[in-house]
Amino acid sequence: MKKRGVGIGCTWYGTGYGNGFPDVSSAFLEIHDDGSATVLTGAIDVGQGSSTVYAQIVAEELGLKPEDITVVTGDTDVAPDSGTTAATRQTYNTGNAVLRAVRQAKGKLQAYAARTFSCTTPEGIELKDGYIGVKGDPSRRMPLGEMVSTARLQGERFISAESFTAQTTPVNMENGQGAPYWPYAFGCQAAEVEVDTETGIVRVLKIVAAHDVGKAINPTQVEGQIAGGVAQGLGYALLEQVELKEGKIQNPALSSYLIPTALDVPEIESIIIEETESSGPYGAKGLGEPAMLPVVAAVINAIDDAVGVRITSLPATPEKILAALAEKEPERR
Amino acid sequence: MEIKLEVNRKHYILDVTEDERLLDVLRNRLGLTGTKEGCGEGECGACTVIMDGKTVNSCLVLAGQADGRRITTIEGVGSRRSPHPVQKALVEVGAVQCGFCTPGMVLSAKALLDQNPKPTDDEIAVGMSGNLCRCTGYDKILRAVRKASEEVAE
Amino acid sequence: MTQVIGNGSIREDAWGKVFGESKYPADFNRPDQIYGVVIRSTQAHARIRSINVDKARLPGVITILTAEDMVYNRHGVLFRDQPVLAEERVRMIGDPVAAIGAESLAAAKQAAALVEIDYEPLPAIFDPEEGMKPSALPLHPELFPDTNILYHLPIRRGNMDEGWTQAEVVVEREYSTQMVDHAFLQPEAVLAYIDERGHVVVQVATQYAHYDRGEIAHALGLKNSKVQVKTTTVGGAFGGREDISLQIIAAMMAWKTMRPVKFENTRNESFYSHSKRHPMKMYYKTGAAKDGRLVALEAKIIGDAGAYTSWSPNILRKAAVHATGPYEIPHVKIDSYAVYTNNPYTGAMRGFGAAQPVVAYESQMDLLAKELGISQVEIRMRNLLKVGSTTATGQVLTESVGAEACLKAVLPYLTGKEGRV
Ligand code: FES
Ligand code: FES
Repeated sequence: MKKRGVGIGCTWYGTGYGNGFPDVSSAFLEIHDDGSATVLTGAIDVGQGSSTVYAQIVAEELGLKPEDITVVTGDTDVAPDSGTTAATRQTYNTGNAVLRAVRQAKGKLQAYAARTFSCTTPEGIELKDGYIGVKGDPSRRMPLGEMVSTARLQGERFISAESFTAQTTPVNMENGQGAPYWPYAFGCQAAEVEVDTETGIVRVLKIVAAHDVGKAINPTQVEGQIAGGVAQGLGYALLEQVELKEGKIQNPALSSYLIPTALDVPEIESIIIEETESSGPYGAKGLGEPAMLPVVAAVINAIDDAVGVRITSLPATPEKILAALAEKEPERR
Repeated sequence: MEIKLEVNRKHYILDVTEDERLLDVLRNRLGLTGTKEGCGEGECGACTVIMDGKTVNSCLVLAGQADGRRITTIEGVGSRRSPHPVQKALVEVGAVQCGFCTPGMVLSAKALLDQNPKPTDDEIAVGMSGNLCRCTGYDKILRAVRKASEEVAE
Repeated sequence: MTQVIGNGSIREDAWGKVFGESKYPADFNRPDQIYGVVIRSTQAHARIRSINVDKARLPGVITILTAEDMVYNRHGVLFRDQPVLAEERVRMIGDPVAAIGAESLAAAKQAAALVEIDYEPLPAIFDPEEGMKPSALPLHPELFPDTNILYHLPIRRGNMDEGWTQAEVVVEREYSTQMVDHAFLQPEAVLAYIDERGHVVVQVATQYAHYDRGEIAHALGLKNSKVQVKTTTVGGAFGGREDISLQIIAAMMAWKTMRPVKFENTRNESFYSHSKRHPMKMYYKTGAAKDGRLVALEAKIIGDAGAYTSWSPNILRKAAVHATGPYEIPHVKIDSYAVYTNNPYTGAMRGFGAAQPVVAYESQMDLLAKELGISQVEIRMRNLLKVGSTTATGQVLTESVGAEACLKAVLPYLTGKEGRV
């Protein structure tokens, strides 16, 4: 018989290296005299899209398009150390370093432009749509590139180097007290599953995933992280296991170590929650790791809802489910 | 052993060894590194190419078995000036993350749409199920194939 | 203000990827390159009596590296406890023991099969709870002379007696999670060469180029400024590219031979050359008051660190800190342990120790709700962290706590029309 059930999972995740370890990101930046810019950082894009986020940040600050920004990463001869692409830290940490770097260079440019436009304060200068000029006065503005190249001929350079360090304190080793991580990311996912009581096979029918990311700098990429996390979480909950025998891996191949295929992943509905994190770039905090957490519990709880068995050891294989069903209703056997 | 191959409309005559795979020929002899090796045993689809109109895992095809065949690799599909609808849709939908699975995905989707320009959602999922992706959760890839199919149908 | 923030800007690298133009490490080659193969331990724990490479010196074999070739033979993200190539001991199946460099991959593989390693098997530990016993032989006496417990974090808050007194219902369960592989789609590969400046250049897919540079320079006895790590396109990582895999061996081989060196893992080799997710055993006892408020949690979490430290202390710390789930619990006693065994070493993987306790704390919530006769949503709403909440480590959450908002957002799907999600 096929039985349906629903379950939820709520999770949290402290981002950053944590525990007082110096969590530093750095960025170098140069605004070119045609009004484009290059940013250099050690933060490596492993596929999640961090480089695109940095291009967006620089573009936003300079009033340019992301296509006008070149992001150089991962070459130790040219880029500064930005820490590892891990701990859900690159949007927050290196995003902050990039933001500081672009604001530093932009500040110099605003000061120069204020003089040019006889504006009393650099804060009165805005960069928008490829132009630089006095806020609220369209008559006093010029293309950004023109301003930069004029300034360069007078010996001005718009380059910067900046760092950002996350806030964290070590925990006390006697009682664990302390503030090890910041910020924390939150998520909740709901799963609907169908369990076949004859075979023990679980089919996941739908996942709804809500994640608090502070601010979605790139919502498309946020959805991408959520869906990718859900798939990995489903693999963890239902399929994957490195089988060991006396320390030897029994299934070192993709034919025996099974990961989810397009047929294993259901429709995923992602909901982006934005509870601003004031220390993050534009209020953003990370999402990479948190995205895979809630689904694990949602599926296990949904299995219980469907057939009334509590699986306490992952993965919830058909064998374990059948065994649990048999134990629950011995008369059926 | 000598074999003749047509790859992306170019003709080659190659001297290959018996245990050489089509994947090795493409990557090592022809320098077509867009075809990837993720498993070497026909499980991941990263090495997918189109051979005489059908997708194959080039890690499972011996070079000798490809003798006289016509092969399309990722390098033979679309270009920056005129991307294939599948490529365009993958980019626009945001279905590309690390990109290692992407060439294989493009070829599987292209072959699917060549044979079945209006696939149902289930047909898309089945058609793409031989290609593993560890990053995207497939969601956007399947949406991109759907989008491309709509464009192809027009 | 925002024009670009908050819109789904297209990734610049996406076009290169859909045309197959993006290059991953295996896609790079240099003229005259040597092909490398790593010989790995077949023993979970053994003393190496001898390594005999005489038969492996076939035509076409350029070099055979062992531990003796390294200037400094250790690496590691926290402690440098992992030999680049095994010294007198192997601690897990898959430990690199030697490396062959040859004119062709075939020659390298052929030679690798002819290296004779004489092992004297030692007693091995495969269960961390066995490894915790005082009688167990310590695997890293240089770091921990009399124990395999490399990390223990106690978290104490409130008063447990008071907590259990307040509890109307108590649920006690044991949970376990399995070892998992990252299975990133791109197996490890590396190209190392000496450039026109005499610098060591390493092209690799990594999560942290600057760390790799430091470890390579250290092992080769060079300054950081003489080593360049050039990150290629990375084919997924998920934590599995944090520890060093082939980088140092390839760099050393290039440095020794002054020729470009290429290593490319098969999927099988990949399984043996990076860390795994920690399997954890989790003993949970959770109490809730009549109204559904959580009042007490006692948890013991044991993580299998495998043969080397990697990030284990940080991972078990993360497990302990997150053991309550996103809930406020006034009385807490949590202990987490990382234990060495002779299993494959475990390290970073997406979720990093906060992934394993999820199944425990969220199962406990459902079980408690059932005992109390309230809904799964209700019990969570009553306990979720909010702005101003204090965590088990005494940290006060001052802003950006979207836990309730997330749960509320999925509610319509739980109670919805057709289907329940
Ligand atoms: S490499 Fe051919 S299917 Fe994986
Ligand atoms: S995008 Fe990374 S494997 Fe598909």
